[in-house]
Amino acid sequence: MNIENTQSQMRKGILEFCILSVIRRGEAYPSDIVEEMKAANLNILEGTLYPLLTRLKNADMLTYRWVESNSGPPRKYFSLTPKGEAFYGELQATWNELANAVHTLTNNKSVL
Amino acid sequence: MNMKKIININFHSRVIPIEESAYEILQQYISSLRRYFANEEGRDEIISDIENRFAELFSETLKKGAACITDDDVNTIITSMGRPEEFEGEEAPQPETTAAAGGQQAGAGPNWQYGNAPDEPRRLYRADNDKILGGVCGGLASYLRLDPAIVRIIFVLITFGWGAGFLLYLILWIVLPTRSAPVNARKRLYRNSNDRVIAGVASGLAAYFHIDVWIPRLVFALPLILGIVTSIINHITWWHWSGPSFVTGGFGGTLFITYIVLWIVLPEAVTASEKLEMRGEKVDLESIKNTVKSDLETFKGRAKEMSSEMSERFQQVGQQLKQGTQNLAAEAGPVIRNGSNGFGHAIGVLFKAFFLFIAGVITFALITALAALAFRGDSLLHLKGYVLEGFWQNFLAWTGFVLFLVIPVVALLTWLIRRITGVRSRNNYLGYTFATLWVIGLFSTIVLGGMIMSNFRARQHVEEAVPLVQPTHNKLIVRTTENTNRFDDTDWWSDIEFGKHGPLYSISEDSFLLTTVRLRVLKSDDSAYHVQLIKLSRGSSATRAREIASRIEFPVRQSDSILSLPQGFAISSREKFRNQQVLVEVAVPVGKRILIHRSVEDYHWFTINPNNRHIRWRDRNWKMDWDQDIDDEDSYSWSSNVEYVMTPTGLSRTGMDGSGYRFKGRKDNDNDGGEDMYKERPEKPEKAEKPEKPGGNGGYRYKGPGSNAPKANDTTNPKKTAMVTEKEEALMQPYPLLAIFNS
Repeated sequence: MNIENTQSQMRKGILEFCILSVIRRGEAYPSDIVEEMKAANLNILEGTLYPLLTRLKNADMLTYRWVESNSGPPRKYFSLTPKGEAFYGELQATWNELANAVHTLTNNKSVL
Repeated sequence: MNMKKIININFHSRVIPIEESAYEILQQYISSLRRYFANEEGRDEIISDIENRFAELFSETLKKGAACITDDDVNTIITSMGRPEEFEGEEAPQPETTAAAGGQQAGAGPNWQYGNAPDEPRRLYRADNDKILGGVCGGLASYLRLDPAIVRIIFVLITFGWGAGFLLYLILWIVLPTRSAPVNARKRLYRNSNDRVIAGVASGLAAYFHIDVWIPRLVFALPLILGIVTSIINHITWWHWSGPSFVTGGFGGTLFITYIVLWIVLPEAVTASEKLEMRGEKVDLESIKNTVKSDLETFKGRAKEMSSEMSERFQQVGQQLKQGTQNLAAEAGPVIRNGSNGFGHAIGVLFKAFFLFIAGVITFALITALAALAFRGDSLLHLKGYVLEGFWQNFLAWTGFVLFLVIPVVALLTWLIRRITGVRSRNNYLGYTFATLWVIGLFSTIVLGGMIMSNFRARQHVEEAVPLVQPTHNKLIVRTTENTNRFDDTDWWSDIEFGKHGPLYSISEDSFLLTTVRLRVLKSDDSAYHVQLIKLSRGSSATRAREIASRIEFPVRQSDSILSLPQGFAISSREKFRNQQVLVEVAVPVGKRILIHRSVEDYHWFTINPNNRHIRWRDRNWKMDWDQDIDDEDSYSWSSNVEYVMTPTGLSRTGMDGSGYRFKGRKDNDNDGGEDMYKERPEKPEKAEKPEKPGGNGGYRYKGPGSNAPKANDTTNPKKTAMVTEKEEALMQPYPLLAIFNS
């Protein structure tokens, strides 16, 4: 049982939720998503983001459009689909429950 | 010296100047991604997105004023992107796919089993992620924890051996559900894309078993090499080395099939991690780095070597390398284990193998023929003397032979040896030299052909009437004299080409016998038989042709009713071969009979017509259609050993049979005493008809010109008439059907 393993598994679970949250606020470009998460102190490798986005897109959670860019090739901007919105809603509910539970348990107060 | 080559690449429709080493790093990185996402549904899209990001970051770097993309630039981007090994800990779990990806990446991280509970009961599935046809073998391999290649090879062997393999496969294909299965083997058989002669099978095997490449190559090439060696030995010694025929025969065929099977079954190692798997090393970040490093190292070493040589060649090599890497990139595109491509791949390989086989057969035939020429060519040289005239034709013949035929073989052997030993030449001088020499050879062959053609341009004939004593029994029998001087030990050349019934026979060192003789039967204008010889020849001019024609010696002899034609006519190397021919015209008066003995069929008429650019062969059935270039309205077709009578409308068979095989008795009626003989031995009439050896006193009336008293003895010794000389037997052999009818 090593610590890194546990840590990465904890992060894995919330990754999709975080990404969807960023996109939900408005059309987002992958490297912007990475920057935003970095700013929130949640480091993610850009290389892991692309497969995640592709999977979410293939599951009809996300859609994208091409936007011409003046600094390079056209960029993909992602946004949520209604299905993605619903999915996000469920994730949020789960997260709130979890956060509450974790908060309660870690605050060292006896629930009972 | 710190000098880096910069190349321009077209990367996502941008032209990017990039250091060659940086490009290598980028390539390796993309390859490792491709490998990592091999089983991901949206693999191409993911990789395209990542490449797109690279292109964007490159553009930004260049906009900031950088002259080109350096190693550092690429490495920085890769660090922020992350390497596949680092993805493991980051990625969100996706049960279906990560299990597969984790399986592929076994050993990369400790948590690859995340989505695949270790205690899950093992079940047999078809592998969705590792398949050529339906993934049956991949699934079995996963279930049995074997290298899929081994399972596939076993399946193919079962299919070839008992035919049941395919059926079993179909059943499993239908029955088993699909699922992505973890690939067990860390060490897998691949075809080595880096080092290949045909498909990289041998070098892949070598890498798998950690042996030198030349060993498996030699094993696969052994049947071919031994085949060539034995054929050469056979030609030298005439001793048929039957010992290792199992090597050249069944064993060789098995090896050939094995190679093709491996070619179909084994995937090509394209990416760094596949190359590592091929050698059975652990796939992780460190070893991928090492592979990339060693790849770069060898590249650097090569570049250093080159730079010490001429700088212009450096340029040229760079060009080649660029092309090579681009090809590699293009090849890497459609990844091998893509299911939909599996079947097409197998078909493609079979087609390639088929063409390879054909090419191999042609090459082998070429080499064998050349070996034959080289070791038994003396007799061909001897024949050459009859065709070629003067210094220039001989000179051209030699250069043509050496350059046009020998050069390709030498070039081929050079190429083969180079491929097998792995030596690669960087310059093409040798190739150019070979090509130039070959073109010279081709040219001289063409010129020689033209010169020879011109020697055959004109055709002339000389007519010569043969004085004839009218036969006493109103019947003329035409046959050939017994052969006295035919070389039994004929050339291998004419033996092989024509057997003993070919148009050419050697009769001595510097002359040979031509049998381009034809017999025509005409209707006589008066009441007498007439025989006329038309001697034809070709030549460079009409005068020359006529001169050669008049030199043909074709003495016809007659003894009463028997007209003996020579076996053929000799030409010597002084006279040259100019398609000399002799046409014997026999005019038969109405109401009189003619019989043409079977020996006349031993003539072989052929006409070389350079204006039509082909050689017209007339053999067995030439009697039916006459050569069009001789006017022949009034000649008649005939069969040998059939007696005909001339009528006002043409030839007609005489008498009772018309079958052509029982006519002998009939014919004998014309001859004194012959009748009795056949009555005594009715069961063997055909043999009696054969001529006896000169001097044998039982000789039947068909005496060669040398024997003088044919008639009186006929009845005295019927037993001897039944004897057949060995020569006669030999003459019968090519007509097995006739022989059956006769007996």
